[in-house]
Amino acid sequence: MSNNQRLRVYFTGVGGQGTLTATNLLARTALMVGLDVVAGEVHGMAQRGGVVESVLLLGGLKSPRLDLGEADVILGFEPLETLRGLPYLHKGGTVISSSNPLPPLSVALGQAKYPDLATIKANVTEVASRSYFVPCRDLGLLAGAIQSGNTVLLACACAAHVFPFDLEALAQGIKTFLPAKIQASNLKALELGAQEYEKLAAEKA
Amino acid sequence: MNTHPLLDAKPKETHLLLGNEAIVRGALEAGVQMVTCYPGTPSSEVVDTFKRLNATDRYQMEYSINEKVAMEVACGAALGGAKSLVTMKHVGLNVAADPLFTTCYTGLPGGLVVLSADDPGCHSSQNEQDNRGYARIAHIPCFEPADAAEAHAMTIAAFDLARTLEQPVMLRTTTRISHMRGAVQFQELPSHTDLVPFKKNPGRFVPLPAVARKRHVALAEVMAKAKELSETSCFNQEHSQKQPVALGIITSGVARDYLKDALHTGNWTEQVDIFELGLTWPLPEKRLGQFLLNHSRVLVLEEGYAYLEKDIRALAQSIGASANIEGKDATLTEFGEYSHSLVVQRLATWFGVEAPLNPRRSVTPDLPNRPPNLCPGCSHRAVYYAARKIFGDSVVYASDIGCYTLGVVPPMRTADFLFCMGSSISGGSGLARVGQPVVAFIGDSTFFHSGLTGLANAVFNQHNLLLVILDNGTTAMTGHQPNPGMLQKTLGDNCTHIDIEAIIRGMGVEAVQSINAYNVRGLKQIFEQYRDLKGVRVVIAKQPCVLYAKRQLGKTQSKVAQVVQQGPETLACLKEFACPAFYLDGTDVAVDEALCAGCMVCLQIAPNSFKAVNRRA
Repeated sequence: MSNNQRLRVYFTGVGGQGTLTATNLLARTALMVGLDVVAGEVHGMAQRGGVVESVLLLGGLKSPRLDLGEADVILGFEPLETLRGLPYLHKGGTVISSSNPLPPLSVALGQAKYPDLATIKANVTEVASRSYFVPCRDLGLLAGAIQSGNTVLLACACAAHVFPFDLEALAQGIKTFLPAKIQASNLKALELGAQEYEKLAAEKA
Repeated sequence: MNTHPLLDAKPKETHLLLGNEAIVRGALEAGVQMVTCYPGTPSSEVVDTFKRLNATDRYQMEYSINEKVAMEVACGAALGGAKSLVTMKHVGLNVAADPLFTTCYTGLPGGLVVLSADDPGCHSSQNEQDNRGYARIAHIPCFEPADAAEAHAMTIAAFDLARTLEQPVMLRTTTRISHMRGAVQFQELPSHTDLVPFKKNPGRFVPLPAVARKRHVALAEVMAKAKELSETSCFNQEHSQKQPVALGIITSGVARDYLKDALHTGNWTEQVDIFELGLTWPLPEKRLGQFLLNHSRVLVLEEGYAYLEKDIRALAQSIGASANIEGKDATLTEFGEYSHSLVVQRLATWFGVEAPLNPRRSVTPDLPNRPPNLCPGCSHRAVYYAARKIFGDSVVYASDIGCYTLGVVPPMRTADFLFCMGSSISGGSGLARVGQPVVAFIGDSTFFHSGLTGLANAVFNQHNLLLVILDNGTTAMTGHQPNPGMLQKTLGDNCTHIDIEAIIRGMGVEAVQSINAYNVRGLKQIFEQYRDLKGVRVVIAKQPCVLYAKRQLGKTQSKVAQVVQQGPETLACLKEFACPAFYLDGTDVAVDEALCAGCMVCLQIAPNSFKAVNRRA
């Protein structure tokens, strides 16, 4: 991918998961390697356990709001939210998603049913040309903290060559922009995410 | 004093900043000396960043009680010669409009910049008013940035203009701009900013009618000067093709972003001339007039109300330009936000071609929603539970602005109406006067913002109102900013705590009680006792916001609730209390230990079902 390639990335997750922190890390890494970057997010009521969405635009794009059918990539930090956000993806785009559910309250209270992962994957495969589901929460815990599960997802995307920069740049971004005390767990998460990608790619091949 | 890139970074360095952070850096470079605010999404990060920087050698700052007060304090500081900034969300400017509309007559020698952060799309607001209208009717210049770099540059320009003209200047953002991140190149920070010495001049600063009439004329002269500056402003840019073209687009604010991407998408860049407006009031009418005369078809692109379009139409009429002018239509309306796709569609219609867009996919139906909810352990839930137990649907629940508006969500359903900050008390008073029994809820910060006057009125006019003050000791919704109700030890040395109960007693209310908001039985008793009394009755339900207690006060509960017995009592608690930490495991109720905040309200509601146990990890 060339450096001036226009790329629209849509992030979706649940309030409190760290979706915005992950967006910011990726955006700062992109700026660090010399790309034109715009990122957008919406704060406010969404943070009280609601859906949190953000965007990252590379290559000189300006529009801070994405429309349905526009995203080249969806980074889903929660599988139900990946499915909800799927209409944002254009046909043939890429989806990298966590496979660890966070059931909404209505599901927890037995008033609604959480779609099973197979259904979510089937829906995604219908639109996306490439998709990878990664147990981010599990791998994050393995790396040392649930929140570093977000880095698992970013690393998987990097390894899949979704962005015009590589894993090394992301590692540099982690060392430059994250607080010292969480760098080790995030670098471990980066390693696990990259391994997970290799595993999934080998399965598909 | 803290170290922070916004203070420590060297000139020429480039940093990725939130639009709101870019405004802070711009204000610092402009030499801001006084900052006031009332927090409100999407403006809050501006003043929260100033607070975090804590650069007391450069500026003074305060979280004011409300936007009118914030505006007046900032106006006073600007009158005293300081470069001043006041920040608020769009609806805050309604509260602050009174001083604005007269200080534009007196002028303010130090220079005042008013940040109005608008919220088209109502991401976290009760309306989507477009505050560019205030610049027009108050007669003050207005800047509209379209990205972080412009937010930075225009803040500097706004301060410059405010001091040159001695006139308040508006910096108008929207949610997308305030919360957009982009690269910003820093300039030098000034080592010192001069105060403009205050000189007494009642003939200017005391707007008795005779003075006001003269100052109205002076205001027109200032705005004539501003118009000249608008003609030459670097933020008002024409982009013309080498050869003359018939088509021209005039655009402002965030619409400029969508336009740039849309022209790229449609490969239309070489077909139109563009007039980009960044200093959007007063308009550079000479240049715009020439632009109208040079094009046979002109499209006006602006998100929000059709202010610019109407001004352009009026301008065309006054200069006799015959250009066919278009603007708002069925695609680009006055509602909600614009987007790249909408602008592509609009341009395609205007060019008379097919819109080059990806096909839209339909939304997957029937997914379980994830609406915002009160947090596990939030004391508002306990108060609402007790109120619903006593009053059911026999009263009208007057709600107000804060997290507690989420009382509208079932099963609580304790929000029946809401107008604006403080309306629970005064709107509730009116409703009660015409025969409805009313229970009103207001938070501590909102009580100080706009509840005090409504309560004084309710006492004075002998309204029948049961008021519950949900006192969680902070301004929770917008990110835990200070308010006078906070404890003295958390406020520190620069703010003074004000006791809510003492205020209410001081106003002459006799039926007033403070209670721990987790005490469901006690709340029910007070509600029963107060239900049939006449006049103003006040319950102050106190309990720190759980997030605030955990993050700022460092308090976490070592115990969590656990279900020890299933049955109708357990199911009723699940259904009626609906704590987000509860979940159904098959048919059994269970508590998610990771979510449980340890408030133990469920133990009061269903004593046979739950017990407190030690948190495992």
